[in-house]
Amino acid sequence: MRCNDVVGAIELEGLSPLPETAREHLAGCTACQSFVADLNSIVSAAHELPAEVEPPARIWISLRAQLVAEGLIHEGTRAIAPAPRGHWWEGFSGLLQGRALATAAVGLLIFAGGVVQLRNSAPVTPSEPAAKVQVQEPDALAASGTALTNQEHELRAAQPAGTLASSPVDDSLQKDLQTLDAFIAECEHHLKANPHDQLAREYLAGAYQQKAELLAEMMDRGRSVN
Amino acid sequence: MSLRLVGRSVLPVLGAGIFLWPAAPAQAGPQHFEKHFTVKGKPVVVIQNIGNGRIEVKSWRNPEVVLTGTQASDKISIESEQAGDRIGVSSNLIDSSAQPTEMEADFQLTVPEETELQLKTQTGLIFVEQVMGDMTLESVAGDVHLKEVSGYIIVTTKSGSLVCTQCAGKLNFSSISGSAQLLQPALSNVNLFTTSGNILFDGDFVRTGLYTMKSGKGVVEVRFSTSDSFDLNAQTSTGTVDNQAADFLKPDSHGLKHLASKYTRGFFGTIGQGLAKVELSSYSGTIRILKRD
Repeated sequence: MRCNDVVGAIELEGLSPLPETAREHLAGCTACQSFVADLNSIVSAAHELPAEVEPPARIWISLRAQLVAEGLIHEGTRAIAPAPRGHWWEGFSGLLQGRALATAAVGLLIFAGGVVQLRNSAPVTPSEPAAKVQVQEPDALAASGTALTNQEHELRAAQPAGTLASSPVDDSLQKDLQTLDAFIAECEHHLKANPHDQLAREYLAGAYQQKAELLAEMMDRGRSVN
Repeated sequence: MSLRLVGRSVLPVLGAGIFLWPAAPAQAGPQHFEKHFTVKGKPVVVIQNIGNGRIEVKSWRNPEVVLTGTQASDKISIESEQAGDRIGVSSNLIDSSAQPTEMEADFQLTVPEETELQLKTQTGLIFVEQVMGDMTLESVAGDVHLKEVSGYIIVTTKSGSLVCTQCAGKLNFSSISGSAQLLQPALSNVNLFTTSGNILFDGDFVRTGLYTMKSGKGVVEVRFSTSDSFDLNAQTSTGTVDNQAADFLKPDSHGLKHLASKYTRGFFGTIGQGLAKVELSSYSGTIRILKRD
């Protein structure tokens, strides 16, 4: 087992118990020992943090869109996208609760992005066709879009239609939301026909990022002003 | 009734009236405020305006920050603090029943020439003139006008537009529907992104400068002079490229092999020696490259 394999095993299974082969490699590799020690420190520190309100999904979507836009991670990687059952990253993100920890979350996600990128930059063996990753890409972006749409529905449910446009600023935010939704729909439609158009993907990721920030702004206004 | 008796009975009433008169209308109408902060070095000024209103910043040579302004009603309060050279000003909602017009506050700020700024408002112009220092300017729907400023400048709006005249340093602009105009810039690093707004860059490219300008649906227009020196990369997915500078463009001579994507249209080229790097893109808008007269 090599260093990359240990990272992969930790990513999939969590820190404990490590598979036997990973433990064997760890015993003789100072780099991996340091890596695992760092992770243990982070997890321990996170456990000591006081529980707060769970951050909304838009934070994770926004972070993921930003990381994709900056090329730090590739879509379809499992390190960021939550797995359907009991993925250790999911539990880890649950530890990071509250706005005060958003900065820490950014750092951790960038770290995770770096790890994923290292893994992706490793030579591809003939048994791992490059197309495998590409095929997953549209789904990951689509998942971001779906999550944002859900956030938008939650916002509308929390603020009935009559109260949404109560000031010039609210009107402006509503128009911007419509602008973004129209642009996102245009990009998504284009990507269905041209899934490998990298420029369109970048614009779509950027639009998701902006939508996440816009929804956050609208929710904040709903709490503090209206 | 003698004059003395009239004086005894009327004067107290008049006196009380004069004493109370300025207080009564101040409760309901606009209120003026003014504060002075003495500073030693390069101050950092933070303004958080929860409501609407204009923020205007100008500079002088005195080691003092002067804040003046008006608040629309007493349903908001203007609070400030000074900790050394850090000055914080915020408007706060006192009465949650306040209407948007009652939450307005305008700020005029006079600061030393070298000052760091962090300004946030909802609507209303943010105007900064002749200030040197890093600045973070945030607005939802208000425009941002900068004139003769320098530093690391970050401007974020939702629909507000940016006009930057004779700006120097580094600029980062992000908006959903706002446009950006950079006129006579001396910026060495520019990063502009808007989803539906337009972008105009009219000026010189600093040698070794890096310039990225992206608009999802708008027009990205660059006007250059023949004495400029930059590598140019212009790409669009479904938009158009209007290259009126083809005669001045040479193939990139720096050894980078540019592989055109089959999904995008555009071109690579070099003006002069290609010392700066300019990247223009639009998803569905128009990229226009013009030579200035």
